[in-house]
Amino acid sequence: MASVTFENVTKRFGEVVAANDQNIEIKDKEFLVLVGPSGCGKSTDLRMIAGLEEISEGVIKIGDKVVNDIPPKDRDIAMVFQNYALYPHMNVYDNMAFGLKLRKFPKEEIERRVQEAAEILSIEPLLERKPKQLSGGQRQRVALGRAIVREPKVFLMDEPLSNLDAKLRVQMRTELSKLHDRLKTTVIYVTHDQTEAMTMGDRIVVLKDGYVQQVDEPLELYNHPNNMFVAGFIGSPAMNFLDAKIVKEGDDYYTEGFGAFKVKIPDQLKDKVKDYVNKRVVFGIRPENLTDAEITHDLDITDENSFEAEVEVVEPMGSEIYLYLAVDEHSMIARVDAESEAKVGDKIKLGVYTQKMHVFDNETEEALF
Amino acid sequence: MPITLKDIAKMVGVAESTVSRAINGKPGVGKETKQKILEIAKKYDFQPNKLAQGLAKQETHILALLIPGLSKGNYSSLVENIEYIAEKDGYQIILCNTQNDLKKEKKYLNLLQEKRVDGAVILGGEIADQHIVNTVLRGHKNIVLVNRLCEEILIPTILIDASYGAYLATEYLINLGFENIGLITAAKNDEYIESEKIKGYKKALKDNMIEYNNELIIKTDGSREAGYLAFTQLVNIDINPDSFFVTSDLLTLGLIESIKMGGFFIPQDYPVVTYGDTLINSIIEPELTRVVEPLEKAGKLAAEVLINLINDDQAKEEIKVLKPTLKIGKSTKY
Ligand SMILES: Nc1ncnc2c1ncn2[C@@H]1O[C@H](COP(=O)(O)OP(=O)(O)OP(=O)(O)O)[C@@H](O)[C@H]1O
Ligand SMILES: [Mg+2]
Repeated sequence: MASVTFENVTKRFGEVVAANDQNIEIKDKEFLVLVGPSGCGKSTDLRMIAGLEEISEGVIKIGDKVVNDIPPKDRDIAMVFQNYALYPHMNVYDNMAFGLKLRKFPKEEIERRVQEAAEILSIEPLLERKPKQLSGGQRQRVALGRAIVREPKVFLMDEPLSNLDAKLRVQMRTELSKLHDRLKTTVIYVTHDQTEAMTMGDRIVVLKDGYVQQVDEPLELYNHPNNMFVAGFIGSPAMNFLDAKIVKEGDDYYTEGFGAFKVKIPDQLKDKVKDYVNKRVVFGIRPENLTDAEITHDLDITDENSFEAEVEVVEPMGSEIYLYLAVDEHSMIARVDAESEAKVGDKIKLGVYTQKMHVFDNETEEALF
Repeated sequence: MPITLKDIAKMVGVAESTVSRAINGKPGVGKETKQKILEIAKKYDFQPNKLAQGLAKQETHILALLIPGLSKGNYSSLVENIEYIAEKDGYQIILCNTQNDLKKEKKYLNLLQEKRVDGAVILGGEIADQHIVNTVLRGHKNIVLVNRLCEEILIPTILIDASYGAYLATEYLINLGFENIGLITAAKNDEYIESEKIKGYKKALKDNMIEYNNELIIKTDGSREAGYLAFTQLVNIDINPDSFFVTSDLLTLGLIESIKMGGFFIPQDYPVVTYGDTLINSIIEPELTRVVEPLEKAGKLAAEVLINLINDDQAKEEIKVLKPTLKIGKSTKY
């Protein structure tokens, strides 16, 4: 049982700063996901926790203990990678047990641990089988079993599912989440896949260029991104960003898209933009928070929450449709109900769920809301 | 669009090969032409293509061979065969004796990280430790393990299945009609390879529906004395094995001395099978039936896999398990 804490952690590889003054608190028994594009420093963070990489500055704690100078084998962690070795001549039991055997654990203890891990992973009936008699998912579970039998305080997983095909990956995500519930240990999980992060994490750390962008629960991250990077990285299709400026008319504030659109900012958010009048901002709206006014039932369409757009592509996705739209110079995607009859070339009225809109500072890219 | 050799050739009005020679500092290009070419290359920030970079890639054509000791095991045969293949492919070998000391091993592995060798074969040593895993995670992937296991990641590995070798030996004795097979091992401290041999022994008994008797399994320190004592121990407490499988050569030497001292004959009174095609095993009388490990093949494969890794970024990482065979001598049948 252990928490993991980063205090002002910096890691340099020569000129490259792979971790930049990071502060992260991972709670005991939490499933924490580190997510971000390739090269943002996810694996480096994991390796520092594991003790495989020295820390340039700052402190990492496991529990209350500073581990900066503690060798990997004494840190009570286990790592799981996508690229693990199942030995073809050993059965499942031995593939999970050999590490303990080599570390001279007593036979009874090894047996207890392997049995327990097999139970947790529901692979008891497979213990006698050889790896080639297993499915991809079962093999993955054996690799997890090898980590579980070490009974670590913290599991570190670096993209463990990235070798699996799409269907199996989805299934293993659920299994890993369930596994975490049963293990009741801290899991730190690295992925570059935001869907994986959103579906698995109790909380998510979004990284970019070694900087922590935001640490939050999935929905919080989705609904209240700190900045344009997080807003654009989380969610698919990605949030629409449109250049705009803030205008004030009477007591009301609007984001105004240089003639292309004008959307009223909800009253309770007015305060946040009052210093931005006539200044450039970026208007952000997720595709699902746009609607085809023709088929909207739950939104009173007015001039203040809608504008016209031209349909460029219609992509049916089953119960919904993605509309690729042009509004003057701007292009955007709307995710609308399949009832919509919009056709390529149509000019349609787009409704905006203004409670869900975002405005970002044009310079800093920080969210105003 | 980055500028290419072809573009520069056109601009200067020479052949592409001339440009290439000029850029790589090779002879055969006039002074003025060369200067022109280099100026243009610099001006347009010419980047040599991948192939050219590969050619210029810093390579030492040296492989490190990490072994845990000179006296132990059958490393000489492995080493010779690794060197044989390496040499054919234009590599030299440096032999690093780690004496099973992790610190020494780590130091030698640094040769790889510092690019002073192109790759490393690590022989024996049971489990791949963090420094090996980390070397690979840091992108220094040109490592091949021989008879060493790794928990976390897939490192190309050549394994000899000792458990299968023990299975063969035991099964052979069973097929000759023996059921009380004494197993003399060097497993005093639960050495992994020895426990693998015990596993093979037990499996052969089980597959032939013979119940195993724990008292027939002797775990020793592997010395000649221990082999000697094992026989007297088993015979004195009246367990009476009808045959022996011995898992290493010194043990076998001691055991056979003891059998002969007792006035017994091999194979008439006690058939004996040993493990390993070693010098000691080869000079014992009578000629021993023995488990032979495919060391030549293992050594060659290790070198081939490593050289493949060095030359091909996309080389498949794999685990190859080789099986020992049984060589029948005069110690089991008459
Ligand atoms: N051993 C090293 N030496 C030099 N630079 C390194 C080393 N390891 C990582 N880096 C650099 O540090 C940065 C972060 O790398 P890291 O592997 O942590 O990224 P990542 O987020 O895991 O990426 P990916 O999604 O591609 O796995 C990168 O710029 C990388 O090139
Ligand atoms: Mg990574």
